[in-house]
Amino acid sequence: MNNLNSMPELPILNDQPTGRRSFLKACGATLGLAAWATALRPLTEWTEDLNVDEFLQKHYRELTADQKQAVFKRLEAETKENYGADVHITDSQPIPGVQFAYALNLSICIGCRKCAEACHIENNHDRTTNNSYIRVFEMQMGGIDFEKGNATYDHPVPQPGKFYMPVQCQQCENPPCVTACPIEATWQEDDGIVVVDYNWCIGCRYCEAACPYHARRFNWEKPEIPAEEINPQQGYLSNRIRPQGVMEKCTFCLHRTREGRMPACLEACPTGARVFGNVLDPDSEIRWVIENKRTFVLKEELGTKPRFYYFFDE
Amino acid sequence: MTSTPAAAAAPGIQRDAIRSYPGFLWKALGVATNGTWLFYGWMTLLTAIALVGANAWAVQVRDGMIVTNMSDHVSWGLYIANFTFCVGLAAGGVMMVIPAYLYDDEEMHGLVIIGEAVAVAAIIMSTLSVVVDLGRPDRFWHLIPGIGKFNWPMSMLTWDIIVLNGYLVINLHIVGYLLYMKYLGRKPNPNWYVPFVFLSIIWAISIHTVTAFLYCGLGGRPFWNTSLLAPRFLASAFVSGPAFILLVLRVLRMTTGWQWSPRPAQTLIQIIRVAMSINLLMLASELFTLFYTGSGHAAAARYLFFGSHGANGLVAWIWTAIALNLIGTVLFFQPAALERSWLRIAACLCCIVGIWIEKGMGLVIPGFIPSTLHEVVEYAPSMTEWKITTGILAFGLLVLTLLVKLIAAVELKQISQPKGSGTTEAQA
Amino acid sequence: MDRESHTNSGPFLLVLAVLLVLQGCSEPIDNSVESVAANSTLEPLFATVIREPPVPHGVRAVAPNGEEVSLQCNACHSVRAHNLKSASAVDLDEFHQGMHYQHGSLTCVSCHQPDDGYSSLRLADGTSIAFFESIQLCGQCHGPQLRDYEHGAHGGMTGYWDLTRGGRERNHCLHCHDAHKPAYADFQPVAPPRDRFAPANHHAESSEAFHATSGLGDSHHE
Repeated sequence: MNNLNSMPELPILNDQPTGRRSFLKACGATLGLAAWATALRPLTEWTEDLNVDEFLQKHYRELTADQKQAVFKRLEAETKENYGADVHITDSQPIPGVQFAYALNLSICIGCRKCAEACHIENNHDRTTNNSYIRVFEMQMGGIDFEKGNATYDHPVPQPGKFYMPVQCQQCENPPCVTACPIEATWQEDDGIVVVDYNWCIGCRYCEAACPYHARRFNWEKPEIPAEEINPQQGYLSNRIRPQGVMEKCTFCLHRTREGRMPACLEACPTGARVFGNVLDPDSEIRWVIENKRTFVLKEELGTKPRFYYFFDE
Repeated sequence: MTSTPAAAAAPGIQRDAIRSYPGFLWKALGVATNGTWLFYGWMTLLTAIALVGANAWAVQVRDGMIVTNMSDHVSWGLYIANFTFCVGLAAGGVMMVIPAYLYDDEEMHGLVIIGEAVAVAAIIMSTLSVVVDLGRPDRFWHLIPGIGKFNWPMSMLTWDIIVLNGYLVINLHIVGYLLYMKYLGRKPNPNWYVPFVFLSIIWAISIHTVTAFLYCGLGGRPFWNTSLLAPRFLASAFVSGPAFILLVLRVLRMTTGWQWSPRPAQTLIQIIRVAMSINLLMLASELFTLFYTGSGHAAAARYLFFGSHGANGLVAWIWTAIALNLIGTVLFFQPAALERSWLRIAACLCCIVGIWIEKGMGLVIPGFIPSTLHEVVEYAPSMTEWKITTGILAFGLLVLTLLVKLIAAVELKQISQPKGSGTTEAQA
Repeated sequence: MDRESHTNSGPFLLVLAVLLVLQGCSEPIDNSVESVAANSTLEPLFATVIREPPVPHGVRAVAPNGEEVSLQCNACHSVRAHNLKSASAVDLDEFHQGMHYQHGSLTCVSCHQPDDGYSSLRLADGTSIAFFESIQLCGQCHGPQLRDYEHGAHGGMTGYWDLTRGGRERNHCLHCHDAHKPAYADFQPVAPPRDRFAPANHHAESSEAFHATSGLGDSHHE
């Protein structure tokens, strides 16, 4: 009784004026699809660089030890293929009982930008943009007013009436960038360092909007570095060459600092304006500075709780 | 179905309704793609623009976001500006739903489905605007809860993804169900759509509130970090949404045989009058707080309205927006706006463009200028960004055209369930 | 320049060491602050060494045969009378010519030890110290700087923050400060960032080069 097996009628075939219109529609649809395929052709050139393993790679924190090794091997091979350099990718882990903090003495910083340069080299930054995680501001004496600051000065330093304020990731204890990220591609490690999984980030740049310190950078295109300039000692979460289209940031050089070494920016500082160490160690230099100098943090009112302190000599 | 006809009828209807749904979709596709030469011309134009946009996007994905004029200082640009506006457009659709369902406006009831169709198209445009803003669209699956890693409830962006997709689903359901019932020639069962209609009212408010929270939740961006942002977003959405719907209704009335009384449009205009007044009041209140106190928080507003340090790239934009909004408001308050006049069209266009600028170039961009470290780096969209954004708008209009055409066809009984099959037979 | 170094040519790095500066032992330098251990654990610590300062080993002079030679201080000062009031090279007729002196109201013998032919430095109490120990001498007046130095908050360093894993090398005062003119001299910094779009609010003198190469417009791919 029910005509349950009846096929739905096909209006394109059955509706008047039928034949000709349907044929034209089919032609139009075919042409349309061909046009879309042509328009999107650049995508195929792009996907040549991608591979299934990378596409399916899990979040860093869900990778097993074996999977990690496979990923590192693949990344090393890719670096060899794309950049012609033999690199070694490591995976330094936070040291138990260590929380990093940084302090910067504004009285003796001379604005030489050696720290920014060291960061550029250490962290395999794109050579074209001269990128660095550190931006040094020439500030007007008499206040800490970035409105009067200038990060692109290009004259002999130090200038009278000025002081110099390098700004980099403040490794906030309450990081707005981590809260913002929709996919947990950036998180805070046990030693306080905020890291990015460059293979998980989708490049929405919400973290860059959320950061109050202009600490994050985006890879607007594929970084360019000559093979001979590549720093081969690379950390997966830190200075390995970043892919196009993802965020990156200062990691306090975790591939160095988690091995007990100083960050590159500190080593480059000629005046010793930079103090780094384990804030949980009561005998560390960083603790001495925090306890004995009148330190301050940038934008304290935002409640981000930076681990980066500034101070002046009395 | 061998028992009494009365007992068999109900499940039979249900089953047939499901059976004939593919047929409905097939017919819908047919009717939505039938039209005059004007219609084909319009669709070809939109497709062409969308294709240009798609090509520009493919190049952007291949070469990197360097083809945009965004930078580490101004890290969001035209895409997110357009996204914000489109979310408002989607939320604005609810301004037909509220009179229709909360105030039982019978005539509005007949047209409310147009507002829902606009919402669907607008949500598609906003989603696309976000997708083209991603540096790595290939990793889109990281956003899918369960498979990826969804930072919910912390990240406001995850809330936005939920509410936008939810709103899309709700509206698709309502539009699809109502149309299908009309196609079947049956009275819609209120249980199947009225709860969703009420849900959509709350949801519409939530999409724009959450989108505002995306910005105002960022403590490092004082220009956005104001509790007035969400109310302002809503007020402006309740102008741009109805204004856009008024335009759609005008086109629909002129191109199809569908007729209705002037009353629904008049209701929308009353809503616009109130919403725009509130919007302007809140804008004035915001500007007073910023400029009178003259604190550092005013830096972005100073740049936006007057330029600073010799940089004044947004000054022309914002004053254009203010002028258009004021002209639009004045026009809407003219008695002629309540008639089917060209003045009403002009008023709608003024407000739509004015709010598009106010919410995009006038709100998203100055949030980044000056930067968080007070560097004034300017931004003007690149040709690629214009192509992609225009492509998205064209694609949205294309979807809207098909939807509205289908709605009109069902409404005008150009397609309906053929006699002798489906429900009629089930009752035999 | 006119400075003499310690007499032995010495190792490149003077192992003054943690023991001296940071570990708070009873070495002469550490006489002011409480002892500071680099690590609270009892693991053995690697050494902190202070780099040899970049100072010439003697005074340049032209020998009678026309050759340039480097003279030890006491080559002259052991046979000449001391002028205890001399406070600038300007007063001198020969040697130390062209030396710029700008260091408060000190005289030569405020720091140089006349009693042994200027072969060593002289603390305020008259004690002689070797040239490479001058940190101690500087610290007599610049106490806060010495204190900060001892706590790792002044003076460049490289190596390990964690001394249980590796050692450290530290700059000497003289790496940055010329003893005779200690103020840090101006110099050209590393090139500024090459932003795609230059900030508009930086100072005019530094902006031209960047505006010329960037400016708003379509990117290079367009």
